[in-house]
Amino acid sequence: MVTSLASRLLEALGPDTVRSSPEDLAVYSYDAYSDGHLPTAAVLPRDAREAALAVRIAFECGEPVVPRGAGSGLCGGAIPVRGGLVMSMVRMNRILELDVRNRRARVQPGLINLDLSRAIATHGIFYAPDPSSQKVSTIGGNVGTNAGGPHCLSYGTTTNHVLGIEYVDGQGVIHHTSLDDPGYDLTGLLVGSEGTLGLVTAVDVRLLALPESVRVGLAAFPDVESASEAVSAIIGAGIVPTALEIMDKLITGAVEAHYHAGFPLDAGAVLLVEIAGPRDDMTAGENAIARIAQQHGALSWRSSADAVEREALWASRKGAAGALGRIAPNYYIQDACVPRTKLPAVIHEIGRIAHFYDLPVGNVFHAGDGNLHPLLCFDRRDARAVRAVVEAGTEILATCIAMGGTISGEHGIGSEKRDSLSLVFGADDLAAMDRVRDVFDPSRLFNPDKIFPTGAVCGEVRAPVAVA
Amino acid sequence: MTASVAPRIVRPADATEVAATLAACARERAAVVVVGGSTLQSLGNAPRRCDVALHTSVLRGIRDYDPRDMTAGIDAGTTLAEVARVLGEHGQWIPFDAPLPARATVGGTLAAGWAGPRRAAYGRPRDLVIGSTIALTDGTLARAGGMVVKNVTGYDMSKLYVGSLGTLGAIVRANFKALPRPAAHRLAVAPIAGDQRERTLAALGALAIEPTAALVLDGFARVARYPGAALRLVLLFEGSEAVVDRAVRDARSALGRAGIAETLLHDGEIAQHGFADIVDAYVDAGERALTYRTSGLPSTAWARTRAAHALAREHGLHAESIADLRTGDAILRFSARTIATFAAKLGAFDADVRRAFERATVLAGGGTLRAAIDAWGAPPSTIATMRAIKTHFDPAGILAPGRYVGAI
Repeated sequence: MVTSLASRLLEALGPDTVRSSPEDLAVYSYDAYSDGHLPTAAVLPRDAREAALAVRIAFECGEPVVPRGAGSGLCGGAIPVRGGLVMSMVRMNRILELDVRNRRARVQPGLINLDLSRAIATHGIFYAPDPSSQKVSTIGGNVGTNAGGPHCLSYGTTTNHVLGIEYVDGQGVIHHTSLDDPGYDLTGLLVGSEGTLGLVTAVDVRLLALPESVRVGLAAFPDVESASEAVSAIIGAGIVPTALEIMDKLITGAVEAHYHAGFPLDAGAVLLVEIAGPRDDMTAGENAIARIAQQHGALSWRSSADAVEREALWASRKGAAGALGRIAPNYYIQDACVPRTKLPAVIHEIGRIAHFYDLPVGNVFHAGDGNLHPLLCFDRRDARAVRAVVEAGTEILATCIAMGGTISGEHGIGSEKRDSLSLVFGADDLAAMDRVRDVFDPSRLFNPDKIFPTGAVCGEVRAPVAVA
Repeated sequence: MTASVAPRIVRPADATEVAATLAACARERAAVVVVGGSTLQSLGNAPRRCDVALHTSVLRGIRDYDPRDMTAGIDAGTTLAEVARVLGEHGQWIPFDAPLPARATVGGTLAAGWAGPRRAAYGRPRDLVIGSTIALTDGTLARAGGMVVKNVTGYDMSKLYVGSLGTLGAIVRANFKALPRPAAHRLAVAPIAGDQRERTLAALGALAIEPTAALVLDGFARVARYPGAALRLVLLFEGSEAVVDRAVRDARSALGRAGIAETLLHDGEIAQHGFADIVDAYVDAGERALTYRTSGLPSTAWARTRAAHALAREHGLHAESIADLRTGDAILRFSARTIATFAAKLGAFDADVRRAFERATVLAGGGTLRAAIDAWGAPPSTIATMRAIKTHFDPAGILAPGRYVGAI
């Protein structure tokens, strides 16, 4: 069986496109979550036709197909946990069509997120979803996890910017969905399905006009709780900034040592606020935000209209997780989302949990969205610390659910959180999702053992469906 | 509805009763049509059968609304006007942008997949839905999403239900992300001559502040009135006072340079009502008329409306149109002096409409006229997948049979 998949792929696509030796396959065995499992083969298609052929062969061999963008996913979504075929989309990295006037583009899934916005900036337009990984992560991967980023507070997440999708089904047939088509919204279903419904081979994206003005403000607070209260008050005042990000003292310390962006080191937390839009709103918006920050105990406020300074602040925010290497050999980043008014209480609980498990914790998060990213620092060589991280992570998720939140805001479920999904959804909820999966992938070979809990109704067993 | 016998009306008291009703209907093979405010029931084909009309009118209420979170869980039978009133008290709104908000319900608006002319600025209703509960024909209630604004937890099932027109289940509740309500609204109406088209588009394209909506109306004389002008440009500006002030000033001078000297301006509530009247007109067809929506690229919307007028002349029909320059929709209303004269040429005319426009669906019209044609035209290439979805969710085929795309 194993040789049959690799040899059939080699025969069909040639050695330049197919990898099958163990040393070549090692790089496809993991993603940014943890070590995983060797695939049987990897294919690096150049176009949808090659991708479709490889999918068809894998399905004929009864082998799983695991799509892979940059491998920067944080929940094990790209790990071939059951072996099979990894489809690395890195070569399909072109902008196929750009329509500036109608502000849309058709891009290949291996295109790096930031490369898209850079390529079109001269036309005064941009692609809004900007996950912190945007320098490496791909549009296809972003579609898989419905990626967010700091700016989705006002612009929305990936799903709000995808107008259509080209995908390959298990028979190797290429389909095209469009929001303009009458009928069920297949586009909306495919976004966030983590590669379990088909292989995405092209994405039609919506582009936005660059705002006329952008300002970034930085407020220092004594602690994360007061910064979080300020966030709720800003939104409550009817102001929706393009981003509202909080970093605690541990994070700002690490970031400042690395990037020297000018974050105050004596503060318990800093709040990064970006507002964007017509220039007429900038001064009033800034003044209102500064006033609210002060009312909530801000120690200082500074604002910047300067593009270079702004870029430096954003670069350091997006590099925050990486900068933690200065503090501990390893970190575990959690992703959860709560109603934003619950932020102070959740942050307090996270501090308590981390203290109980004796783990240093840093908080850097999309406060405006209530999207938390506690980073638990540890040393992988210490078995006790590893166990503590796993237990603390689970407790944090349970806390977020108890406060009306959910277990992933933007990273996805992957293999990491599949057994936690049933904390959020009951059997009837999962059964409805299973019907969709049954339509798209009855053989359960697209990215198996992801998202859905083991042994639940959404297991890999096909549910019988009566046909009228 | 074309059922020969009047359908039995049921008004379930809560979500559980909705699910139980659907399960009972599935057992009895009774066809069900879910009814909200009946403002968009003219969408799609008339169902082949309708034994039970399931009204959501008792499922009313705005739950879990914390203005500081800007999220709200809303029961399906709640009217859009009610939502606007309650959220408006806190300076917030959910821009459904749908016709007849005093009657239209949240569930119906979502099921119809309504997306109005403001969507270029605020997103479609689908983009503001963060969670949902649907009653299915096996008697279960299935939830998806949640009450948080970012969520990647299992499939985004709400997207499937929005726009499914009651063919997969009955939406009983939806959770929304609310937006701050703009402080200022201004509506500009300007007459344009046919030869000013290119200059008008160029003037609009150069505006630093984009209008919330930009429409070109031809006909639809009862809305966006401008004395003596059939062809009018309508610009809606929403935002802060300062921004709207500059936007209107810039737009007027740009239009002036394009040769459009006069602009009527409406402010505040009058602007909002004036725009709401236009949105109402989308579905106000009457018995002698048929209104299509064609979707496509914004850059082709105006040309599509002109093509529609030419087509109407060939067939001896009267045409009116709205070209949406921001979303790419073109709303085309055709009418004749009598139902009979329209009906006599409808087959050939509808075929020509389908040939001329890649994506044209019937939005509203007289019952006789609508019954003579397929509302959807040729199904999209993904129709096999859509049919499989229908079979998996409604194996007995009892939910609005025949109403949807491809006779689903």
